[in-house]
Amino acid sequence: MVMEWWDLGATLKSENSLVQFCKWVYEGVDRTIFMGMKFTIPSRFVSPLGFLGMLTFVIFIILGITGALLMLWYEPILDRAWDSVERINDTIPFGFHLRNIHYHASNAMVMVALLHMYYQYFSGRYKIRNEILWVTGIILGVLTILEAFTGYDIIFSERAELAISIAASLTNSIPVLGPDMREAFFGGGFSDFILRFYSFHVFWLPIAMLGLMVVHFPRFLVFDVPMVMAFAGAIMITGGVFPVDLGLKFDPNVPPGITVPEWYLTGLYAFLRTMYDKFVTGVLWPGLFIFTLLIIPFVDRYKKFSWKDRPIITAVGITSLAQIIVTTYWGFYIDPDIQKSLLERLVIDPIFFYIVMVLLVPLSFGFTYMMIKLAKNAESKAKAQPKKTTGKGPINLPAKWVYIIFIGLLIFQIYLNISAYYAVLSGMNNFSLFIIGLMMLVFAGMFHIYRHGRAMEKAPPPLPPKPAIQPKAPSPLPQTSRAVYTVEQTVEKPLAPQQEQRARPSLASSQNTKSSSIRSGGQTDSSASREAGTSQEIVSSAEIDDLDKAGNAREG
Amino acid sequence: MMSQQTPPNLGGKVSRRDFLKLMAAAGTVLTFIPFVDWGKFLPNPTGQVSARAKVELPDGSQANLSSFPVNHSEAVIYPKTDDPALNKEAFRTWQFIRLPEELGGNNNDISSFRMYSMVCLHLWCLWKYWPEPGRKRGECPCHGSLYDPLTGMAFAGPASLQSPPSNVLPMLDLESDQSGAIWIKPPNWSPNGNGVVGFGRYLKE
Repeated sequence: MVMEWWDLGATLKSENSLVQFCKWVYEGVDRTIFMGMKFTIPSRFVSPLGFLGMLTFVIFIILGITGALLMLWYEPILDRAWDSVERINDTIPFGFHLRNIHYHASNAMVMVALLHMYYQYFSGRYKIRNEILWVTGIILGVLTILEAFTGYDIIFSERAELAISIAASLTNSIPVLGPDMREAFFGGGFSDFILRFYSFHVFWLPIAMLGLMVVHFPRFLVFDVPMVMAFAGAIMITGGVFPVDLGLKFDPNVPPGITVPEWYLTGLYAFLRTMYDKFVTGVLWPGLFIFTLLIIPFVDRYKKFSWKDRPIITAVGITSLAQIIVTTYWGFYIDPDIQKSLLERLVIDPIFFYIVMVLLVPLSFGFTYMMIKLAKNAESKAKAQPKKTTGKGPINLPAKWVYIIFIGLLIFQIYLNISAYYAVLSGMNNFSLFIIGLMMLVFAGMFHIYRHGRAMEKAPPPLPPKPAIQPKAPSPLPQTSRAVYTVEQTVEKPLAPQQEQRARPSLASSQNTKSSSIRSGGQTDSSASREAGTSQEIVSSAEIDDLDKAGNAREG
Repeated sequence: MMSQQTPPNLGGKVSRRDFLKLMAAAGTVLTFIPFVDWGKFLPNPTGQVSARAKVELPDGSQANLSSFPVNHSEAVIYPKTDDPALNKEAFRTWQFIRLPEELGGNNNDISSFRMYSMVCLHLWCLWKYWPEPGRKRGECPCHGSLYDPLTGMAFAGPASLQSPPSNVLPMLDLESDQSGAIWIKPPNWSPNGNGVVGFGRYLKE
């Protein structure tokens, strides 16, 4: 092949001492705990649903870095906490950026973790000995929410004070031990609360989460650079468009404005607003919800994985989603009629509220029943009709155009760099943050185009159209590079090479590829080893399709 | 030989090996028992006051039966620390009230005085006592919770809707000496005792 100046992969082929050193380090990883992991960098677009867990982890790392930087200026002291946050926000260079990224990333982490959980739930991926992953995941989710919660408490704005008072009174309300627990964990007053919530936020909870993550990490991991960049960019763009406000400094002598907690707690807030017993509404109900989630894998006895084949479990999931959505919205809603007393506006009628909650159960079950019927109907129709050969046609850009777009994006990045710089200079911090977010997105696009180009380069020339399936297309390239191409095939449309591989799982597993696959990093034989891992786990089963899905499930 | 080994609970006899295991387990537990007491590291010790303390008015003097006016209140810091920032904290502010005449404020003994936590049980704003005719009650500026000065119970507003103990203010027990000076007795910070600041107290009948 002729080397051209735009052949970006070319430089990697010559090995200088730095490259050699990096490879040496990479091989040394073999002797560490990471050797058990199979790490894939996909070489084409993959649905992020399969690796939402990895995205959650990446956001966790973003939060760790921005949080560690914020620690340099934040002061967890009663009369200085809010002022120090104000200083970070208003005077310290790029404090605004870091605080906004930290805030929006915390919301993103809770959101992505929730999506991750529900995706795993509906696709039945907590089965086949993944129960430990599920249980640690639920605990991690609870800790994530606590982490986010303690984070916005230590700003000590009016809203933070409201949150602290609710947390403390819920702890107090625990029978027998409550007041002592509050005294022991939160201390005796505002000064203690801030300092201790701070220690929870920056040390105890993250360290517990890291420990749990070690257990929670599956053996198959996907790190998709463009998707990670797109998420990071989206967080920054959100920060630019909706910069988080400081709130007013808490003063016990000044009536606070009406505030509601963050969105992941408004559901709980709606329960508290019924003014029922604090322990029941604020501790027992959420506890029951978490407990239900914890035991789900041990209750679910269905032999199949798809949501369509597990009607009761799906219905329970839909019910929980419906109830979460309704209570979350209800928690936000405050009667706008200012003629009424504050109490009338705030208190939710418990009878009405609980009736709605109960009504959602049959509604959700009915909805699930309908959805399953429709889905199965569509399935059988699709089977009856002759297969559409095209489906989603792949976009095949000529290589020349790939490079033109690539260069265009590069120029756009330079332009964005300049405008982000000028935005900071003129004090438009949120605009600058927005542009940096855009830059991340452009980088994601560039990376995608780049790997698309590389894949095109390696792909075999297009085949002449044949009437039926071509089981053995002549492949001019070594098998390995094609295998990469099949890593992220979604299960619905198995391609020919994948079937080929399925035919020889014993071969792949016998190669003892465990250690070599780590180094591969998705460049060479990761697909083969992945298949091998899957087949080692589940050799004897007949439901290859479902199990294949399950194999994918462990990514992320 | 394994099959001949006696199961530990058969005939009430414990094998030597099991006995040693039991001792090892007991030793492990005993080793860590001293650390249970270390849990005292967690609660804030400044909240624990073992001696009686003065009712120190904002002007620095000690409250006295004979000089404190009827139907009047002052904010008192308790427990007072050496740190001025901590002394400003809401959780250390208490409302020291001499009841109005109709509630027995004229009695020249300790029964005419009350001392409640100023932290409103609803959302922790600072309420205070209003002596004006027609009011004569504790009022929270934030969401309008009203407190009965006689018992510390919320009778209107959001705090009154909270279930016990979160509808009755924490209260300190007072005593006076021969000179009429008023003292605060050592508190018992539990819902069944003097109450928990910001949370409440069970009203004793």
